[in-house]
Amino acid sequence: MIKKRISMIVEYFVLILSSAIALFPIFWTFTSATNKSIDVLAGRVLPGAKLFENLHNLLKAANVGQAMLNSSKYSILTTLGSVLICSIAGYAFEVYYTRAKNMLFNVLLLSMMIPFAATMIPLYTLFGKLDLLNTTLGFALPSLSTALLIFLFRQCAQSFPKSIIESARIDGASEIRIFFEFFMPINRHTFAAGITVAFMNNWNNYLWPLIIMQTPTSRTMPQLIANLTSGYVTDYGMLMLAVSISILPTLVVFLILQKNFIEGITGAVR
Amino acid sequence: MPKNLEVKSRQDVISWVFIFPAALLLLITKFWPIIKAFILSFQSGVGLNTSFSGLKNYARMLQDNLLHISIFNTFFYLLLQVPIMLIIAIILAALLNDHRLKFKGFFRTAIFLPCAMSLVSYAIIFRSLFARDGFVNLILTKLNILNNPVNWLADPWMARIVIVIALTWRWTGYNMIFYLAGLQGIDPAVYEAAKIDGASAFTSFRKITVPLLKPMILLTSITSISGTLQLFDETKNLTNGGPANSTISISHYIYNLSFAYSPQFGYAAAVSFLVLIMVATLSFIELKAGDRR
Amino acid sequence: MKRKLGLLLVITMVITMLNGCGSNTNTNANTDADASNKKEESKSNELTVWCWDKNFNIYAMNEAAKIYQKDHPDFKLNVVETAWDDVQTKLTTAVTSGQTDTLPDILLMQDNALAKNITNYPDTFVDLTNSGIDFSQFAQYKTALSTVNNKIYGVPFDSGTAVTALRTDILEKAGYTINDFKDITWSRFIEIGKDVLKKTGMPLLSSQAGSPDLVMMMLQSAGVWAFKDGKLSITDNPVLQKAVDTYVELVKSGVLIEVNNWDQYIATFNTGKVAGAMTGCWILASVQASDEQKGKWAVTNIPKLDGIDNATNYSSVGGSSWLVLSNSKNKDLAVDFLSKTFAGSTDLYNTILKTSSAIATWGPASTATNYGIAHEYFGGQKIFEDIIEYGKKVPKVSYGVYNYEARDAIGTAITKIISGTDKDSALKEAESTVKFQMGQ
Repeated sequence: MIKKRISMIVEYFVLILSSAIALFPIFWTFTSATNKSIDVLAGRVLPGAKLFENLHNLLKAANVGQAMLNSSKYSILTTLGSVLICSIAGYAFEVYYTRAKNMLFNVLLLSMMIPFAATMIPLYTLFGKLDLLNTTLGFALPSLSTALLIFLFRQCAQSFPKSIIESARIDGASEIRIFFEFFMPINRHTFAAGITVAFMNNWNNYLWPLIIMQTPTSRTMPQLIANLTSGYVTDYGMLMLAVSISILPTLVVFLILQKNFIEGITGAVR
Repeated sequence: MPKNLEVKSRQDVISWVFIFPAALLLLITKFWPIIKAFILSFQSGVGLNTSFSGLKNYARMLQDNLLHISIFNTFFYLLLQVPIMLIIAIILAALLNDHRLKFKGFFRTAIFLPCAMSLVSYAIIFRSLFARDGFVNLILTKLNILNNPVNWLADPWMARIVIVIALTWRWTGYNMIFYLAGLQGIDPAVYEAAKIDGASAFTSFRKITVPLLKPMILLTSITSISGTLQLFDETKNLTNGGPANSTISISHYIYNLSFAYSPQFGYAAAVSFLVLIMVATLSFIELKAGDRR
Repeated sequence: MKRKLGLLLVITMVITMLNGCGSNTNTNANTDADASNKKEESKSNELTVWCWDKNFNIYAMNEAAKIYQKDHPDFKLNVVETAWDDVQTKLTTAVTSGQTDTLPDILLMQDNALAKNITNYPDTFVDLTNSGIDFSQFAQYKTALSTVNNKIYGVPFDSGTAVTALRTDILEKAGYTINDFKDITWSRFIEIGKDVLKKTGMPLLSSQAGSPDLVMMMLQSAGVWAFKDGKLSITDNPVLQKAVDTYVELVKSGVLIEVNNWDQYIATFNTGKVAGAMTGCWILASVQASDEQKGKWAVTNIPKLDGIDNATNYSSVGGSSWLVLSNSKNKDLAVDFLSKTFAGSTDLYNTILKTSSAIATWGPASTATNYGIAHEYFGGQKIFEDIIEYGKKVPKVSYGVYNYEARDAIGTAITKIISGTDKDSALKEAESTVKFQMGQ
């Protein structure tokens, strides 16, 4: 009993310490958003009274509403699209394993191993020829299929019981129904992880949106933040406020999806 | 068994249909540019004045001191940071999977959040934390761990360590998410049974958690290797490669070759292929080792 | 539950696809409309510009548009806020991939990048030599920076004229005034600096570790750069040797403290850790951030290198210029616009000076009334008049195609020398690094 209590204390200690380390810089960003620029530079950690002044300046300096809208639209679109496209592919690579598919999978993995700086210009040239510059499709296309997500769902399908597939087939379920009605709900924790990670990656995507979209009305949050730091004088309080706002959507997505990490496999099958 | 065969071949067709959209998209948006870049890697010159030069770019890499430094730095990050981060992530995921624990949602969210943070502010905050008169020195000297404040970002080794700390801070929660998802597939009854058999927490971690997480460990180690060998954001924003190129990464160097310096796209492409080859080699060694078939 | 989730995903998939196609056609239609609009309107009256600083060059551009609109009521200006690094990335990408119609009509470029971009992409920019713009009215060092093969490509904009800005209250404590820093040499500067440090405990200057800015500033003050007639000149460059020695002495004596990055650099003088700043005059905008230091600053010229022929007390750091793109559908309008505003309107410079402290490099601007203003933050000094005078004396140099390579290598060498490597081998290494990059 005492041993058990000690182990719980150690667990809490480790988790509280880790959370504190993880949260401190974020906490600091939030408090900086309420401070004057010069206080942020001086390293002030405590909250100040300049939140509304910073907000006023930020709204005057940049179209935050539009950037948030653009980023949200783009991130939601690509996240849902990519999770769907990649989950079914990852599932197929594992469940219908053949040597040929395994080979193809290995080749597809290569796509995430080269720095984007090397492929950006050829991709831009291609999209120019396809008349995709300045279009939502051109914007989204490179994020709709990623090796990371295909890999994630393939790994997840490895621990998916083959018996479920077999019995569903005996019951006459079509292959696509097995995916949607058995694989997807049972592995919703993996889908939650995939959506979270994809959303975060899409939200923070910088270079491609920057070069593919030319109009100022298509500006995303990361670009807006970069513009706030590009002048001779940077207002650090205002900058930190923009960053604080920018982190919120990912936080919301995570909070919505995180309950899926609690219910285990047993909860789903029953 | 003609009917069975028919079913098999229908399944085969369907399975290719499942794979097709993802594969086609990758073909267009990744492999076509990669092939183009590969062709480009046999051309040299500056700006728009390029011409075919055979293997010159690849030979040139042997003489490039800056490239050698960046490879050294990148492998330092890889060897130190990836194992530390993944081990911490697994431990945290295992702790968070303990059903007796309260406030799980809070801990999970807190540990995940760093990867959602915008690079701009995280760079400013880390630079401030590790400044000579920054927070880290304050705490370490107060706790008597250090006698004198360290000028972290001015010392080549300390600056590399700061990069490792920053990377670990930012990406541990990200990797933990994959492990948490993987752990949900494990029936809690397995742990109960182990406990009844008298296994300690550490034993069940080593004997149950780690083996069952093998698919996710493979995933995270390959993505982390790939991510670290393509590291750019941290070295560009935190240290800008300094002091004296002691933190510059390969991708940062590729960026300089392409956009900061007089552009040498052919050479930059060749260096990028070096990265591809290194990541692919390491990954396929892991895939082979992790393949259960 | 499981059924609902599956259904939800199917629905979202359908919506996603529909939405994807829908918004695609929408944007396509939009861009088409934009493009055709552009074609029609741009013939007569619309220009797109890329620049990056809301309170500075974007503001100036918009003011210029207002002035131009007085005579051209239909004129429209569309400023796209784009950070400098992003301007470079987008420019390089567009030119390399041949998609130059995605570029604007005018863009702003850092002076450091002028020679590189113009030389590498000569057909991308309009040769303005015979455009009717009178370049002789600009500070000569500025036009020299955008001159490639005797053709002038850039309309100079903001001044990078180097200044020494100092806290008069600190100097007073140590028994000095700003005049003790006027027209002096570096050895005298260090001498006074040591004295100030001893008496007040405060270093005069700070700089970003690894940044070559101060050393490059010293080079230009003697009319020299890291290239001579297009050839690399590092180890055989006596001025560079002297500049490096001077910088190292500044650091070793404690007169200058190095910090690790830009925000800490700004913080050193904003929070009163150092008594001054020395770089391009654009730094004065940041100097003015502290209310407590109001009235306690003054500006003078920079020290000159000891024992170097042609050494002066004047130099330049940073600054930027406007370029017109050859792909522009209305080059003529773009050129005319620039010639009537940034190369022709005293009013423009008068307005932007007051609000944004954008100091002109166009000679006639100095007759504008605001240039004679006694600046409160700088204790009533007529700083703009003074800086314009300094600007006229800045030696001409050409930064060259491999400027960034050289700057990085020299920055690295300085860091190494300060941490103990001997000067000759560090500079030798810098030279071979740049030579390697030039060897493509």
